Amino acid sequence: MDVRLSEEQEILRKAARDFLTDKCPKTLVREMETDEKGYSPQLWQEIADLGWMGLAFPEKYGGGDMSFLDLSILLEEMGRVCFPGPFFSTVILGGLPILDAGSDEQKQKYLPEIISGKAIFTLALIEASGKYDAASVKARANADGDGYVINGTKLFVPDANVADYLLCAARTDEKSGDEDGITVFIVDARSPGISHTVLKTIARDKQCEVVFKDVKVPGENILGKLNQGWSEIQKILERAAIAKCCESVGGMQAVLDMTVPYVKERVQFDVPIGVFQAIQHHCVNMLVYVESARVIAYEAAWKLSNGMPYSREAAMAKAWVSDAYQRVVALGTQSHGGVSIIEDHDMPLYFRRAKAAELVFGDARFHRKTVARKLGFKVA
Amino acid sequence: MDFELTPEEKAFQKEVREFLDKECNENVIAETESMLGEGPYSKELIRKMGAGNMLAPRWPEEYGGRGMGFMAETIKVHELTYHRGPFPLDAVEIGNTILVCGTEEQKNKYLPDIAKGEIEFALGYTEPNAGSDVASIQLRAVDNGDEFILNGQKIYNTEAHFSDYHWLLTRTDPSAEKKHRGLTMLMVDLKSPGITIRPLVTSAGLRTNEVFYEDVHVPKANMVGEKNGGWAVIMSALYGGMGGGSSGASRYYFETLTKYVLEEKPEIVADNPWIPDAMADAYIKLHLIDVMGFRASSMSDLGLSTPYDGPVSHIFGNESRRDFCNVVMQILGPYGQLAEDSKWAPLNGIFLRQYMDSPRWTIVHGSSEIQRLVIATRGLGLPRK
Repeated sequence: MDVRLSEEQEILRKAARDFLTDKCPKTLVREMETDEKGYSPQLWQEIADLGWMGLAFPEKYGGGDMSFLDLSILLEEMGRVCFPGPFFSTVILGGLPILDAGSDEQKQKYLPEIISGKAIFTLALIEASGKYDAASVKARANADGDGYVINGTKLFVPDANVADYLLCAARTDEKSGDEDGITVFIVDARSPGISHTVLKTIARDKQCEVVFKDVKVPGENILGKLNQGWSEIQKILERAAIAKCCESVGGMQAVLDMTVPYVKERVQFDVPIGVFQAIQHHCVNMLVYVESARVIAYEAAWKLSNGMPYSREAAMAKAWVSDAYQRVVALGTQSHGGVSIIEDHDMPLYFRRAKAAELVFGDARFHRKTVARKLGFKVA
Repeated sequence: MDFELTPEEKAFQKEVREFLDKECNENVIAETESMLGEGPYSKELIRKMGAGNMLAPRWPEEYGGRGMGFMAETIKVHELTYHRGPFPLDAVEIGNTILVCGTEEQKNKYLPDIAKGEIEFALGYTEPNAGSDVASIQLRAVDNGDEFILNGQKIYNTEAHFSDYHWLLTRTDPSAEKKHRGLTMLMVDLKSPGITIRPLVTSAGLRTNEVFYEDVHVPKANMVGEKNGGWAVIMSALYGGMGGGSSGASRYYFETLTKYVLEEKPEIVADNPWIPDAMADAYIKLHLIDVMGFRASSMSDLGLSTPYDGPVSHIFGNESRRDFCNVVMQILGPYGQLAEDSKWAPLNGIFLRQYMDSPRWTIVHGSSEIQRLVIATRGLGLPRK
């Protein structure tokens, strides 16, 4: 066992950190929270030129031929600075599923666009129930000549306001069971009949309601197999859970890194508050959460990267990290005191993102159910 | 990045596991669970492990080790505790320090015998007025030419009643300006005249001891490190690189409980819908104990250990295992309170014994609070004053 980053990974991390420290200050993060698009197209092009979008894709599509683990390092750095924009949606929710399940033609068509920064992708999965299960997929895709017509309403679709393509999960066979009969379509976001509304969210990211009204999709745009899309959706969700954990670890580390120097400097009762054991224990507990979160997130990422089974590890990681991020922020806030609950302090940025990260792709209870099932418990 | 054990470590794990599957029998387990200390079956097991060079895998081969790392040590501890064998083996812990701080003569005299499982050592730090504040110990060692004469008292020296030697922190200079400067580490033959060992028993039934010294003569050849240099020895013992924690026995109890509630008492789970969530949470924490423990060990082996890797692993492990015991009791409901010889006791009351013992884990070998102090000041650089 050797959990160190390779030399190449260290270089990647340092390059990412230097770049993001320079190009993604908190002023930009705040600006993007109220920006209509929610990201800076100029910065988007810059990271595409740096090869970030293509990092984990094969060279033949213009990618960097690196691994999911390498991508995880980048996500951690992005989480550290609250990087705004559709990177996660495009790469994790759009690009990797196409790489995994797409036909040669689909890969040839879409991956170079993603890698070059031309296309923004996202995933339209969740519906009114707010649940990540197959039964909740009610949107219909009815066969119509060579193609399909999609009707339905999707919620919590990240970055749909700027997306060029949506991966949309829709029901193509009503008669089958919950998990059968779901198909994933690659949908041009500018197709007639698609409309979106940006939801006002805690992290002020751009999660949208997307309404599909008689949206025509050619049959060649099916990702994977007809009626068997749910297994791909599950893979997308597990991959996304791990990726979200790695991003969260970056945020947790940032909160620890702002808290420790603060308690060394903040003087009360004539001494730095870091002298007090109450504060010391808060800081140590934060460290325990950060260290445990990092090791469990990266173990899952490492397994995925190396082609090993990773469902259990993904569930364990998301269960643990979802709660750990909340606790780190709570302890960091408590150590800072009043200053850190003022809107222009950086802490609320993490406070809001920690909750958003917890609630997406299944929270801790959701994933503990998965773990319990794997242990042999019957859980609804 | 690699989360797998090396082929050598895997082979060692398999060897130890297979050995213990066979040798850690019901008699040994009964001795462990009695909490009265190593009995004849445990000693026999330890000797067999020693004969197979499994007791101190981290030591050089010349002393009976295998020249492996902290990882192998953690693997050994995990297997031994998972099989509910005798643990801790303080002699090996102390041998680690002899390896670093002892003279050639001391290494040659003690290490091979420890590695063979022939001799046992008991830790002797704590006194009635010196717990977390170890440097306040008062047991006096007066320089008397080529020997010291000892007077005073130790407490909570859990292995003293079945050990051959006492690893004893003594005060040689009561007038030292700073209290940690006047300490000396000695190895004392526990058969020496003037030593009295008196039992103390925890609420779980675990035997520990008070040890009284009255004019006990100890040759200077038994001094480890310098005279008045005992603090450096104890620091080396506590922080000189550290293996990580392991889920060990708790994993055994987790597996046993899972099987019990799934196969024998499904009605418990049916009546308590919160149980799968609690068991999944416990499973994740046990998994984390092992991954964090292995991580801490591997960082020590790579020479990259931070001052907090080991302590973080230990407090997380101790607190999580303690919390798990509490969850077990809640899952068993009223049956949780039944002791081993009671009618109706589930699985002969093994869970109750663990629960009763669990408050000890976050106190011994550096309480959680002291570990946090170490992490805060040495690891995070927070100010002391």
